Amino acid sequence: MLTIDSLKQFGADTDDGLARCMGNEGFYFKLIGKVMEDNNFGVLEEAVASKDLDKAFEAAHSLKGVLGNLALTPIYEPVYEITELLRARQDIDYSGYLKKISDKRAELAELLK
Amino acid sequence: MKRSTDLYVDGKRHILVADDEMINRELLENILCDEYDVLLAEDGERAYELIRENRNTLSLILLDLIMPKLNGLDLLSRLKDEPELRSIPVIVLTSDQASEVESLNRGASDFIPKPYPQPDVIRARISRSIELAEDRQIISATERDELTGLYSSEYFYRYGEQFDKFHPDTDMDALCLDVNHFHIVNERFGMAKGDEILKKIAGCLVTFFSTSDCVICRKTADTFLVYCSHRDDYTSITDKISEVCCDMPTSVKLRIGVYASCDKKLDIRSRFDRAKIAADLIKNNYSVFVSVFDEKLMENELFAEQLVDEFPKALAEKQFKVFFQPKFNIVGDKPVLSSAEALVRWFHPTLGMISPGKFIPLFEEDGLIAQLDEYIWRCAADNIADWKKRLGLSVPVSVNLSRAEMYDPALVGTFEKITSESGITTKDIYLEITESAYVRDSDQIVERVKELREHGFFIEMDDFGSGYSSLNMISELPIDALKLDMMFIRNAFNKSGDTRMISIVIDIADYLGVPVIAEGVETEEQYLTLKKLGCSIIQGYYFSKPVPAEEFEKFLLEKDS
Repeated sequence: MLTIDSLKQFGADTDDGLARCMGNEGFYFKLIGKVMEDNNFGVLEEAVASKDLDKAFEAAHSLKGVLGNLALTPIYEPVYEITELLRARQDIDYSGYLKKISDKRAELAELLK
Repeated sequence: MKRSTDLYVDGKRHILVADDEMINRELLENILCDEYDVLLAEDGERAYELIRENRNTLSLILLDLIMPKLNGLDLLSRLKDEPELRSIPVIVLTSDQASEVESLNRGASDFIPKPYPQPDVIRARISRSIELAEDRQIISATERDELTGLYSSEYFYRYGEQFDKFHPDTDMDALCLDVNHFHIVNERFGMAKGDEILKKIAGCLVTFFSTSDCVICRKTADTFLVYCSHRDDYTSITDKISEVCCDMPTSVKLRIGVYASCDKKLDIRSRFDRAKIAADLIKNNYSVFVSVFDEKLMENELFAEQLVDEFPKALAEKQFKVFFQPKFNIVGDKPVLSSAEALVRWFHPTLGMISPGKFIPLFEEDGLIAQLDEYIWRCAADNIADWKKRLGLSVPVSVNLSRAEMYDPALVGTFEKITSESGITTKDIYLEITESAYVRDSDQIVERVKELREHGFFIEMDDFGSGYSSLNMISELPIDALKLDMMFIRNAFNKSGDTRMISIVIDIADYLGVPVIAEGVETEEQYLTLKKLGCSIIQGYYFSKPVPAEEFEKFLLEKDS
C-alpha cells in the first residue's frame, strides 16, 4: 500500500508534491494512481520506436509536467532528460532512457499494490 | 460595465483551467476551488467554446501551451483578435522559458511555471492579474467620451502629463476648439443632428492629427481639446471640418484657440485655459477662425480678474472716489456753471489710479456695476446735500445708469430713497441713460424712463450719436436733454471740420424742445463753433477736467460771486 514513507523511500519529494495537493494525502495518492495509467508512457515508447519524434516530444513534455507537479523525482528526471533531447529532435538511441523510465514506473507500481 | 457587475453575482469569480493533462487540471482546481468557480477544458477547442460561452463572467484563463486540437499560443492569438474576449486576462502554464516570452508578447498577462510553484504563489499571481484587469476595465469604461470615443477630460490631462514625462523636449501646442453657435444647431436641427456633427468633428480631428504625437478629448458639449506637437498653422483644420460636415443642414465652423509652444512649467490645465482665452477672443468674429494666445492676453485677463476679485474690498474701503466735471451753459455772453456730471475714479492702494474705462466694462459683465453705481449715486447725493448745507449752494449733478439697471423694477424706489435719505430733491440729481439702452428692448426702457420722469427726475440721453436711434423713435422719447457723444464731436472737428451733423442734431433737439449738451470739448475753437451752432451746454477739458468734490466747490463759489 502506498504511504508517504514508501514514496519517500522511492525518492519522491513528498513535501513538495503534498504541498501542491494542499496537504491532502488521499488526493495526492489518487493523482499518483492516475499518472500510472497515463497513456503518454505508451505513446512515448511507440513514437520513439516509429521515429515520430514530434509525437514523442509531446508525450514526454506532458509527462514531464505531471510528474514534476507530483514530485515523482525518480521518474521525472529521466523524463526531463528525454524531453530535452526530443525537443532538439535528436536522432539517437533513446532505449536507455525509456528503460530507466519503465523501471522506475514499475517500482512505483509495486508500491501501489 | 456588464462584466464587472456579473462577476459578483454568486460572490465568486470564474476561472477557466485549460490543460490536456487531467492531473494538472485537478491540481489547479483543488488549489483554486475555495476562492473561485473553476471551469475545466481538456483541449484548445473546448477552451475556446467555454471562453465564448462565459465571456461576460470569466475573470481569468489559465492556459497550457501544448494541447491537442488548438494549441495554447494559437488560442491566445485568437482571443486577442476578438474585441469581446481581448480583455480577459490569460496566465500561461509552461515549463519552457522560450514560451514564456512568446506568451507575454502575444498578450498573456503572466505565466506560471511547471512544476507549479507553491499554491500561495499561484493564488497571489492569479489575484493580482485579475485585479489589474478589472482596474483596466474600469479605466476603459470611463476614459472615453461615449459619444465621440475621444478621451474624457480627466484622462486627457493625465495622458498629456504622461506624454510630457517621456517627451520632455517635444515642442507642444495646446488647442481649444469650439463650434460657433453650436447651441443653435441643437436648437434648430435637434440633438441627434448635433451629436452627428460632433462625431464627424471628432473623426476629422483624429484623422487630421493621426501623423503627429497628440492626445484629443471632448471636454464639454462642443469643446474639444488637443495636445499635440507644434505646428505653425491650424487654419486647414477648420476647412477640413467644414468639408466633412458639408452634408449637414448647416455650415459648421470651428474657432480654434492656440497656446503654441507651451511653457511646460505651467500646470497642464492652465495651458488649456490659455488656449480657451485665445478661442474666446474670436467668439463673435466670423472672419477669423484661429486665435493664438500671447502673454499680453494673459496679463489683461489676470488684471481683469484681480479687479473683479478686489471689488468688494475696494468698495468697503472706499477706494472709489466720485469726481465732478462741471457743465457750463454757454447761451449768454459768459459761460455759467449749470450742472455737473459725477464720474468715478478708483484709487487702488498698489495699482494707483485705475481708469474707469478698464473696470466699468468688467463690472458691467460681472453684474457688479449695480453695487458700484448705487455707491456713486449715494456719494453724489451726499455731496450735493453737503454743499447745500455748508455753502447754501448747489447745481444739479447727473449720474450714469447702466442698461441692466433700467430693468430693475425697484430703480425709482432706490432713487427716491437716496434723495430722501440725503435730504435733496429729485431736481438736484439728473440721470444719464445711454442711447444704446433705448435701442434694445426699447419699450421696456422707455416705460422705466417715463416712470422716472413722472417722479420728477431729469433724464439726459447720453452718448447720442454713438447708437443707431431712428429719427422716428427719437420723436417719441421721454427725455429732457440730448448729450452728444464725445467721439462724435471729436471726429467732426478732427477730420474735415465738417460740423453739419452737429447742426442737424441741434435742430433735432430744438424740434424736441430739449437742450443739447456737448461733452469732450477741449479747445476754444470747438467751444466757439458749438456756441455759434446753438449748442446750449458744454462739458469738457476746455473748462475743467473732472475734479474732487472739494475742488468743485470753487466752481460753486465762483458762480455765486
